[in-house]
Amino acid sequence: MPPIIDKGKCSACGVCADVCPQDVFWGSEKKQIPVVSYPEECWHCNACVLDCPVEGAIRLRIPFPMFICYQ
Amino acid sequence: MKEEVLEADVLCVGGGIAGLMAAIRAGERGAKVIVAEKANTVRSGAGATGNDHFMCYIPEIHGPDIERQAERSIVFLEKASIRTKHYVRTYLEKTFAIAQLWESWGIPMKPTGKWEFSGHAVPGVEMPEYHPLKYAGLNQKHVLTKEARKRGVEIINRVTVFDLLRDESGIIGAIGTGTREDTVIVFKAKSVVLGTGICSRLYPSPTPGWMFNRSDPPSTTGEGRAMAYRAGAELVNMEIPRRWAGPKYFARNGKGSWIGVVRDPANKPVGPFVTTPDKRYGDAIGDYYTSLFEGYMKSGKGPVYMDCRGISEDDYTYMMWGLSNEGNTSLINHLNEENIDIRKHPVEFMTYELSTRGGVYYNEKAETSVKGLYAAGDEYFGGMSGAAVMGWFAGDNAAGYAKNSKGIETDSVASHIEEKKKLLDQIRKREIGATWQEVNIALAQVMYDYAGLVRSESLLEAGLSYVQRLKKKAYKEIIAQNQHELMHCLEVLNAFDVGEAIFISALERKETRDDVVRSDYPFMNPQYNNKMLICKKVGDKPLTEWREKQ
Repeated sequence: MPPIIDKGKCSACGVCADVCPQDVFWGSEKKQIPVVSYPEECWHCNACVLDCPVEGAIRLRIPFPMFICYQ
Repeated sequence: MKEEVLEADVLCVGGGIAGLMAAIRAGERGAKVIVAEKANTVRSGAGATGNDHFMCYIPEIHGPDIERQAERSIVFLEKASIRTKHYVRTYLEKTFAIAQLWESWGIPMKPTGKWEFSGHAVPGVEMPEYHPLKYAGLNQKHVLTKEARKRGVEIINRVTVFDLLRDESGIIGAIGTGTREDTVIVFKAKSVVLGTGICSRLYPSPTPGWMFNRSDPPSTTGEGRAMAYRAGAELVNMEIPRRWAGPKYFARNGKGSWIGVVRDPANKPVGPFVTTPDKRYGDAIGDYYTSLFEGYMKSGKGPVYMDCRGISEDDYTYMMWGLSNEGNTSLINHLNEENIDIRKHPVEFMTYELSTRGGVYYNEKAETSVKGLYAAGDEYFGGMSGAAVMGWFAGDNAAGYAKNSKGIETDSVASHIEEKKKLLDQIRKREIGATWQEVNIALAQVMYDYAGLVRSESLLEAGLSYVQRLKKKAYKEIIAQNQHELMHCLEVLNAFDVGEAIFISALERKETRDDVVRSDYPFMNPQYNNKMLICKKVGDKPLTEWREKQ
């Protein structure tokens, strides 16, 4: 379920939790690695990834039903 | 719950493009401005992670004759348009000034070094209807938030406004609650600007059982329409549907940023406009045949693909850059992760879920029919530059209105405020009841089955009675364990009013038009041409009225 935080890389700055339009990180504590409380409400807008200051600390996993249909 | 009372000259409900532009302009005019935003204005609304097309009229490029431009504008010509020529002219005239403002603030409006128009176009046709200025909006919300703060605007994030306060003089404020903190905030405001966006989550999503897979952001749920409706403001053309198209199952707007050819399974182009990918045009067939992907599937002729094979390397780079700025970075990342090279593999497209094209009626001053209440952006569909320009006008006029307004006294609405606080309390304290998801799904299934694309008096009357019955039940039974769930409960309760307005308006539109079939009136009624359908509440009674557009 998206988003996925790499705990080894995350600096616990809280930017992802701060900016998420859906507030999937609801209940996260300041200066702690954010928790994903409502993964099913992610819209995969990528705001958390775009604004994260550490490359690779957060990524989205696209759920199965959203697979790309291609030829 | 902690209570707070805040005062403002101008309260912007929703800090998307329209809300922030209103705040910026009202702040410039010296008004005390508060933006109440459900999420965080740096990444909220339909422009959260970007857009790449901004409708813009530049006299030096498109010719000086603005009257002609207004007459041929898509805003004027669109299906069941409610916009007068005066409105369109006022809006178009301002688009370039706003684009230049954005450029000066650091939103790249001419990222290639010149004012460049591409996409949404048809070869050989001069297209004043669209004038899609290609820009780089990836970080637009960060920029606009900064500009608002520079002008002294107070931004309150993570607060959802769910009802307006109105007395005999007009709108005098609103009431909201924290989406994280246990707070209730009464806003006393001389004027209110609604900018809450489109109605996502009113109809079922493209993926059964996956409520948040939406073409529009699932956080924008049409609360402005519901609040305005209850406050007695006029809604317009609520029964006209709005649907977009894009990659199948990965619901995401941005079709106009793709540079390819829309083809059927035998590789035959669906439209007559392009046969090879070309950045100047894209393939505009989807703009003129909006239900084509669904139509081809239903008739067995599908699936239909966006085929980018044959695209030049320059155009490919341009497309990926455009899609990034259109807010589609997660889609691009996913294509890369799955090793899907769209230069080699056509991607199937689909027509996405239903919503309404209609909304809060506002004029060229962004005034609604209720004094002190302004609206902009997707409160009634207007696109990116529509949100920016009309947001600016909303802030300008709301600040002017506030200047001439006396102090705000909310004693007359004290019982209304108490009633709303009690509602919040009840929802939070109930131990047994319906989750917001249950209620949302119930509403969406009724909307789909009874106010879908084939309608009739018997279907609509049944659907309306179900929506009204469900609404009553929901107010008594919906529960929230925390403020996040409370936010969703309030969204859904508001969505019932939007649904009700759609049913009531659809009953009145006794004709078949656009994508909607009335099986009991299988013809277009020319008596409705150039008219708009108003729906409003007088007391507790919803009324409809046909009105001449001009």
